[in-house]
Amino acid sequence: MEHYIRICDIDKYYGNASQVTKAIDRLSFSVSRGEFVGVMGASGSGKTTLLHLLAAIDRVSAGHIFYENTDITELSEDDLAEFRKNNLGFVFQDYNLLDTLTIEENISLALTLRGGSRKNIREAVAKLLKLLGIEEIRDKFPYQTSGGQKQRCACARALANNPKLLLADEPTGALDSLSSQTLLETFTNLNDTLGTTIFMVTHDAFSASYCSRILFLRDGKIFHELLRGEKPRRRFLQEILDVLSFTGGKAGENSEEMR
Amino acid sequence: MYMKLAFRNMKRSAKDYLIYLLTMALISALMYTFNSLLFQNELRKYQNAEDMMEVMTALATVFIILVTAWLIGYMVRFMMEKRSGEFGIYLLLGMKKSALAKLYLQENILLGSVSLLSGIPFGILLQQVLMAVLFSMTGMAYRLHISFHPGTLLMTLLGFGSCYLLSLFRCRRKFKKMNIHNLMEAGRKNEEIRETFEPAKRLLLPLSVLFILLFWTLFGSLGNGGTGAVALFLTGLVITIYLFYAGLSAFIICYIRKKGSLIYKRANLFLLRQFTSKVRTMQFTMGTLTVLFTLALMGSSFALMLGGWQALLLDHKYPFDILLYSPDPGDTFEREITFLKENVKPLEIFPYRIYTDGGNQINTWMLTHLSIWGTMYQNPDGSPDTAQINDFLENNSIYCLYDTYMGLSDYNHLRRMLGYKEIELSDGEYAVQIKERLSQDVQHIGDDLMLAEHPTKGAPLLTCAGIYAEPFSQDGHNGSDYLIIVPDKALAHMYPYYSELALDIKGTAPPRLREELDTLRDSQMTAFRNTNPALDGNRGHGSDTVIVFSAVNAVKDNLKASIAYMLASVTIPLFYISLVFLCVAVTVLSVQQLSDSAKYKYRYDVLRKLGLKESSLRALIFRQLSAYYLCPALLAVLISGKMVLFAGKQFVMMTGMPVLSYSFLLKSIALFLGIYLVYFTVTWISFTRNIRKEFR
Repeated sequence: MEHYIRICDIDKYYGNASQVTKAIDRLSFSVSRGEFVGVMGASGSGKTTLLHLLAAIDRVSAGHIFYENTDITELSEDDLAEFRKNNLGFVFQDYNLLDTLTIEENISLALTLRGGSRKNIREAVAKLLKLLGIEEIRDKFPYQTSGGQKQRCACARALANNPKLLLADEPTGALDSLSSQTLLETFTNLNDTLGTTIFMVTHDAFSASYCSRILFLRDGKIFHELLRGEKPRRRFLQEILDVLSFTGGKAGENSEEMR
Repeated sequence: MYMKLAFRNMKRSAKDYLIYLLTMALISALMYTFNSLLFQNELRKYQNAEDMMEVMTALATVFIILVTAWLIGYMVRFMMEKRSGEFGIYLLLGMKKSALAKLYLQENILLGSVSLLSGIPFGILLQQVLMAVLFSMTGMAYRLHISFHPGTLLMTLLGFGSCYLLSLFRCRRKFKKMNIHNLMEAGRKNEEIRETFEPAKRLLLPLSVLFILLFWTLFGSLGNGGTGAVALFLTGLVITIYLFYAGLSAFIICYIRKKGSLIYKRANLFLLRQFTSKVRTMQFTMGTLTVLFTLALMGSSFALMLGGWQALLLDHKYPFDILLYSPDPGDTFEREITFLKENVKPLEIFPYRIYTDGGNQINTWMLTHLSIWGTMYQNPDGSPDTAQINDFLENNSIYCLYDTYMGLSDYNHLRRMLGYKEIELSDGEYAVQIKERLSQDVQHIGDDLMLAEHPTKGAPLLTCAGIYAEPFSQDGHNGSDYLIIVPDKALAHMYPYYSELALDIKGTAPPRLREELDTLRDSQMTAFRNTNPALDGNRGHGSDTVIVFSAVNAVKDNLKASIAYMLASVTIPLFYISLVFLCVAVTVLSVQQLSDSAKYKYRYDVLRKLGLKESSLRALIFRQLSAYYLCPALLAVLISGKMVLFAGKQFVMMTGMPVLSYSFLLKSIALFLGIYLVYFTVTWISFTRNIRKEFR
């Protein structure tokens, strides 16, 4: 399989001269086109840092990240902004919707920033609203909608530019179980039908069970990797929970999601 | 214990609201400076202006205390709202509400003290600058010396303290109504946007624009409608100012909802939404800011008019070093000459007389032809309204009862004294010496007027040979407004009307010379008038308005200083008020934006994640701030503009200042922009820094 994104020997340090924290420790892996990769790990394991590095909103201390043939660690600030605009989509735990804009306008903005005709933008927005099933709330402001609706709006916005990679940071973290399930099914659907490559950070085993591959992170290193293959989701979930309980993880916390 | 916490919190607030702190320090410095006029006015001993400066300064201080109290009140409520989460935690930890209220009060008092203390040293320096300006305005030399008066300090403390008392008074009640849950939620909550009745509210915008248009067209004739109409119009104007913002935001919202093509260009959608949500949540505050800006612009424009008059015209007002008037046509000024020789060093002493023919054809011509009188003294067919004119001449001391003449040799003598070129007249000719302001109106006097030397005696007619408009002291000395110059021979047909004594002196006159002359001559003049009632009416102060200062004993150096001082007592408090109003209003704008930049930092982070470049983001913020800063300023310019333009036009017409009538407005806008730009730049820089800080 072609290596779509290659992470080569990256390091990330935080702190000052007197105290240095190594958040990412010589990490290497690659992601193929159309993969749905999950990253799990306890708090402080470096999973969010990894996501930020992939998202080009933080810089590596050492190493390289290739998107196809582009090494984003070599790009200037402005080129990075351009790169984000054209290649990446973001979904975050706290939605990050602009509260002064309606649901529809939040999606439009992502497109108007890239330029394009009014007609094309309106068509694309209508399509996304339909795809994510949020047509009815298009004129509502974020504060007037539920968490699930907000997150689907964030998804629609993330997809607006046909991203090479959809980055999701704990996307279900603030959602109730039903909304979580709907969102994850949406992700799977996007992954299956549109072939969107997804990179999702989560500490929730239920969410992770929707992925096709899971990387387990500890102290900035990958210590385990699970592939779903053709396994049914429930079995995959059980495997994940086994890994977590083996590492003293959070199996107990997720009993509610064992459906 | 709480004191330490209060101190630490104060330090943080000072950092977060640096602009507010600086403005308060500036206000305290200004307050100190102007209060010093009440206690350390070193000019007072030279001036006899009945404490006008003190009265005006005190009056200005009242307005400033009110506006500053509004600012403090606004900021106290604002900071309280921003810190509600923190207050919730204090309450959760078991602090009593009364203790919390006390803590917050202490913080604010500490913050006030810091700005007061840092403002006062600056105020002491500024006081020296003000004194130097005042001295130079009145033509005196000032030696800088740092001085201090406890009264000034006490007054500043009182003023500043009362601002705080006024504003903190209401704060206590707010604490009583607090609830931990609401407090902790409040910080997290974003502004809720409620869009209701927008299409209806949108109509407010065209309505306000219509009212402003109406205001521009009708303002000039507003005076004719009486005080009722003026009051109604002003009320309408204030309501318009407040409703304008509701209309504006509704209008933009409707445009966004209609999906106008503008919103599909770059970050316009974001900008428009930012703008409407901000304007909507603070439409009332925006209205108040507009009112403050309007008042500031008007204040500074009026101050500029008076200041300009002083700079451009005061010198021309008194061309002679000393000029004395006597109602007695036979006065030889012996006592005065003796007195003056003791007090000044005369280079030349010249007594002369003003003549009259006992008629008032010139007065009539002036009243029916000068543009300042319009058609007031004309019959509907354009002919002079004799009854009205006689009534005017008898009851107003603007013109003398009869026309005023001067012989050519006296006139040329006076011209020599002033350094002007002498003129020539042949037997059948006359010349007009008139104020510069009126000279345009009399260009055709020769065509309309065939001057009779003495109509009663049927003397030959004279024709106009020239019009002279050099400064010539025509406010009751050398005629009022005008003087007709005739060949000496023609004076044989006239009789002396009153006497004048002109002096050219070496050096400057002593400061109180004019008052001494007044005392010397008062009884003498009254005695003369009592015994010669027939000659009453031989003094008119001319048609100058706005600034009128008619002195029987005109001592140039004294008069210039007194008038400058009196003008300064109006212009300086006006500038003071304008400056404070402006600073208060821009501070509110800046604080609003800066606190938003901290609270809504994530909005800009989202834009970055959506791929907006840093340079584009900076441009976006620039546009956002510009729109936000310009909106109330433009509205204020639009409203005050009409009033200032109107007043400027009247002022120029009445005083004859050689400037364009709109120059006052332009200059105050320039001044305004200067201060505005300082605040804008500081806000812009801090804004971009704030949203940059924690982006990862």
